[in-house]
Amino acid sequence: MKTEQQGKKRRGVEQVQARWGWYFVIPAILFFAVFSFYPILNAFTMSFFKKNMISPLPPRFIGLGNYIFVLQSPDFWNSVRATIVFTLGTFIPLVVASLLIALLITLQGKNFRLWQLLYYSPAVLSSAVAALIWMQIFTPTGIANQVVNALRHTSGVDMRWLSSGEMVQLSTMIVYFWKYIGYFTVLYITGITKIPPVIYEAATIDGASRGQAFFKITLPLLKPTTALVSIVAMLQCLKTFSTQFLFTQSGAPKAPINVITLNIYNTALKDYNVGRASVMSILLFVTMLILTIVQLKVSRSDDVTY
Amino acid sequence: MTSKAMNLGSSKLLVSNGIDVIIRIFLFLFAVIVLVPLAFMLTASFMPSSEITQMPYRWIPSQIAWRNFYRALAGNDGNFIYIRNILNSLFVSVTVAFTTVILSSITGYSLAKFHFKGKNIVFMGIMMTMMIPFEPIMVPMYMVALKLGMQNSYQGLIIPFMMNAFGVFLMRQYLQTFPTDIIDAARIDGCSEPKIFRSIVLVNSGPAVASLAILTFRQQWDNLMWPLMIAQDKKFKTIPTYIVSFAEEKLSDEGAMMAAALIASIPVIIMFLTLSKYFVGGSSVYSSGKE
Repeated sequence: MKTEQQGKKRRGVEQVQARWGWYFVIPAILFFAVFSFYPILNAFTMSFFKKNMISPLPPRFIGLGNYIFVLQSPDFWNSVRATIVFTLGTFIPLVVASLLIALLITLQGKNFRLWQLLYYSPAVLSSAVAALIWMQIFTPTGIANQVVNALRHTSGVDMRWLSSGEMVQLSTMIVYFWKYIGYFTVLYITGITKIPPVIYEAATIDGASRGQAFFKITLPLLKPTTALVSIVAMLQCLKTFSTQFLFTQSGAPKAPINVITLNIYNTALKDYNVGRASVMSILLFVTMLILTIVQLKVSRSDDVTY
Repeated sequence: MTSKAMNLGSSKLLVSNGIDVIIRIFLFLFAVIVLVPLAFMLTASFMPSSEITQMPYRWIPSQIAWRNFYRALAGNDGNFIYIRNILNSLFVSVTVAFTTVILSSITGYSLAKFHFKGKNIVFMGIMMTMMIPFEPIMVPMYMVALKLGMQNSYQGLIIPFMMNAFGVFLMRQYLQTFPTDIIDAARIDGCSEPKIFRSIVLVNSGPAVASLAILTFRQQWDNLMWPLMIAQDKKFKTIPTYIVSFAEEKLSDEGAMMAAALIASIPVIIMFLTLSKYFVGGSSVYSSGKE
């Protein structure tokens, strides 16, 4: 009888705890339901409707109408092009350069924190501020032109960083690269320093030279880190908005840098076309989702864990 | 074995002394290049606009142009709305950091230390929201906010960012290692669950709480898109949106623009310099910094 009572008491206590467990997660459940799950479902649903943002009229179901329009729209495909160009043009140099810098920092063996802080500092600024600063640097009389002229021994040549269609794409990439180089260098250094020294010692005992150790140990063990860094960089580039927004608001040509996020924003808040904006949002979401899933798979097979 | 060799094993594998120095020179030059725009912002904000556009750029101002800061703060209409925007940014960022820490901790605590049916589903569900970045859902979120009447309000700026899945993940990771015996002991003593959370768990989670708070603050400080959408009224704009309208209208006042940029960056720069360990390498792997 005593054990029965104890059994009941134990179950009672567990039930009370379980209830508190639920109480503690209810705020999160509510929050994510309203601000994550509902919006993505809504974006999906709205992509099949015609709705004007500021009109009180209810949405009108038009099936695939929005999809057909968007997928046939040159403006949309221009955004796809702009996004791809920006992403590839930024993430590849980012990954390569941050790997190189991380390797150099670890090779010279000292002051890791200091070097990382130096390279990381641009990341601390808000993207609006970064864009503002670079807008000034890229003006005709700004230091960007001065540097290029000095290097090429020319004078007074304006590269038209913010006025030419080709250059403005490069300008946005430069800003983003500058802002995030330190962030990815830090990620790489984490990966490099997590390689146990024992491996190198074993290699030395086996008679490996410096170069062999580098090419046969360091680089291969960095493959998972590189894959991870690449995907994170790609995702980050897909999210770009502030730089392109600020540049276009200040007069830069829109078409060359009309990345998908900017297009979604303008379609919804300037054209008030919720349906089309939703289509683009869903397409963007699916792309990012695929990359995120790949990222999860890669980090799971990661020997060098974070 | 000197700790110079700490990261690459035997000192035989590090580069010889000469190449060391060459590498450092290169790293230094590249760091200088990276820091040039920051130095530019710093120097240009104190220069009269006419000097900034001079070619070549003379890094040292001939006179300190305090008027830049005055004009930056006064804004386009001269009503010093920037000051209010700065306070808005501070208020919003601090509040968001605060709510994120509290809510993420309580959720992470529950997921780490409690057992209830459906716990794993809840956890998976929350983790799945990490796959939903803001950009694809900005439109529906905006419409939700409109429906709830949250435009041009502090609630509108704060509530949608009140917590995030990454914070939950972080706190759950951290709290999984929290000694359960202490919690059980408190329960036996009759302590109520909320009190246990408040007085025992939260109080002793300093490092995780601090990291999350700083990270969240910095993220929210940078937030341009949401305030851009939700705050049309200048009274509720935050720093990034102020910078946007300032750039739209006063592009020719270079000095004031750089001053505005500098003002906007002071809090995060101070945080970065004093709390740098939270930004770069919080883990003990970086103890080589003292070499």
